[in-house]
Amino acid sequence: MVDQTRPEDRWRHVRVLFLAFLGLWLLFTLFPLYFMIITALKTTAETNLTVPTFWPEIMAFGNFAAVFAEATNFDALVDSFVIATINTLLSLFLGTLAGYAFARFPRQAGGENLAFWILSNRMFPPVAILVPMFFLFDSTPWGTDSIWSLVILYLVFNLPLATWLMMVFFRDAPRELEEAAYLDGWTPLRAFMRITLPLVLPGMISVAMLCWIFAWNEYLFANLFVGTDVRTYTIVIPTFTHGSQTLWNLQMAFSLIAMIPPVTLFILLRRYMVRGLSLGVVKG
Amino acid sequence: MARLAIEGLCKGWDFPVIDDLSLTVEEGEFLVIVGPSGIGKTTLLRLVAGLETPDGGRILVGDRDVTRVPPYRRDVAMTFESYALYPHMTVARNIASPLKARGLPEDEIRRRVGEVTRLLRIDMLLERKPGEISGGQKQRTALGRTLVADPQVFLLDEPISHLDARIRHELRSQFHTLEDLRRVATVYVTHDYAEALSLGDRIAVMGNGGHLVQVGNPRNLFEQPATLFVAEHLGQPTINAIGAELVDVDDRLEVHAGSLRLPVSPAHRAALTKMQQRQVTIGLRPQHLRPADELPQGMELEGRIDIFEALGSTGVMIVDAGGVRLTALTRPERSFDHGEVVTLALNPAALYFFSPVDGRNLLL
Repeated sequence: MVDQTRPEDRWRHVRVLFLAFLGLWLLFTLFPLYFMIITALKTTAETNLTVPTFWPEIMAFGNFAAVFAEATNFDALVDSFVIATINTLLSLFLGTLAGYAFARFPRQAGGENLAFWILSNRMFPPVAILVPMFFLFDSTPWGTDSIWSLVILYLVFNLPLATWLMMVFFRDAPRELEEAAYLDGWTPLRAFMRITLPLVLPGMISVAMLCWIFAWNEYLFANLFVGTDVRTYTIVIPTFTHGSQTLWNLQMAFSLIAMIPPVTLFILLRRYMVRGLSLGVVKG
Repeated sequence: MARLAIEGLCKGWDFPVIDDLSLTVEEGEFLVIVGPSGIGKTTLLRLVAGLETPDGGRILVGDRDVTRVPPYRRDVAMTFESYALYPHMTVARNIASPLKARGLPEDEIRRRVGEVTRLLRIDMLLERKPGEISGGQKQRTALGRTLVADPQVFLLDEPISHLDARIRHELRSQFHTLEDLRRVATVYVTHDYAEALSLGDRIAVMGNGGHLVQVGNPRNLFEQPATLFVAEHLGQPTINAIGAELVDVDDRLEVHAGSLRLPVSPAHRAALTKMQQRQVTIGLRPQHLRPADELPQGMELEGRIDIFEALGSTGVMIVDAGGVRLTALTRPERSFDHGEVVTLALNPAALYFFSPVDGRNLLL
């Protein structure tokens, strides 16, 4: 009897320890979000206390209205949305075609080396090309201060990612299914649209999410490139100041609002994202 | 409807896989290509289907040279070893795919899908996805997709190899009865000789180097194999192949292998006496080597049982006979022990003689 209960006891200890660790980890990761929310609800005076409070004394819901008192702030969200969306569609379109070429015609498409070179574009620190890119875009007809400058520039980061991931997804989609479609009488383009594309759709949705979130959150390049005609929300947030005083409550309120689109997208599409990860399971 | 003709077909990557291969399958003929795994059988089918481009040679369907015609204009249907069902489509939509590609009207498609699925007894699965049906049902669906297309040539790549034995047998009998398959030129690839013997109007045995070793009707191939390779691949258990020497003893001809002394039957003698070469490989099918009391008129030899397997419908024994390992068969109800000495018998007329150099059947 004693010998039988002991191992169970030991496992119970391990489980309790594990849960305790998870609890701590949860606190650690959720605390910034919590502090963001309560800061967004504090009055300006309360945000400046030397000893921070962990619950607002007065719930200043007016902060959210104050953010939108200035119409240009809402416009910044629109600009960010337009830039991120157009960039995502472009990345997805080009990345899908390129990924398919690398997956199915590796030799004709330049081989593994070219595919790897494309991915390696993500390896340098972006700040290294900040200034050269500025001069490059400044010499284009649309200049730097336009949505197109950022739409094109973000392709530098998103297109390699989209190409590489789509290549992996296409490799997992069995070639035999396309061949079966050819024998059914479908031309290569129609076989691609009917058979292969639906199979990688969950993968495409995951890629779209990653691209969109990157473009939505980008600050470094946006801060240098745009700011007059076009303003993304990321470069608007730091402008919420009063003299030398940072208006943390307004900044956090705006940040929370800016979190809504990506979080909504994620919740809506999370089923596809999970399926995107289990693409290989087609054969039976 | 048309015959399929393959003329001098070549295909290789780093080494030749198909080498100067010619073959004709008549309209309405069911030809089975049999051969060990990895020998190029699937490559041959893929060439005929148009999924690979040949390095040389021609492929004709009827009078039409399709060598350079892309697969979607060839009017050739093929089932894949992996079934290759579209996982995101229902059984009905999978089977409808070739009809949709032809732009047939919806009600016509529904009618023909209904016909084919009733024939294959999968009409209750129309709205299921491939992930929700069994292996046998997947195979029927894949078959349905090729049947419904009503093509000029059917190509079937190991269609039932991955199913369990009972369903395999059931589907095999279905291949016998499917009218559509029996109307057009059909090429069926398998590594299972029993499938080949059972289904083929003719059998083509494919060997190393991308050649067809022998083409003929099943009985002919089984009884008169052109080479040892053919004999080894048709028949279970595998034929006994023994290195031996032809020896003249007085006015008789004998084969000696180890301490075994076997007479050469008078019928074979003429063909063998002419030969310069005295080294031969003799072939003896296990079913022609049995305990002496099961084969009364036979020529007898002694052997010690090494392994005995009772397989239900037959007993298989591996014996050591004078230093030569032989496989013999016995009636199912009998049983033998390891180490037991048995007297076996064989009919000398059942012996095959092959060249030890190229495996050629010396009696043909």
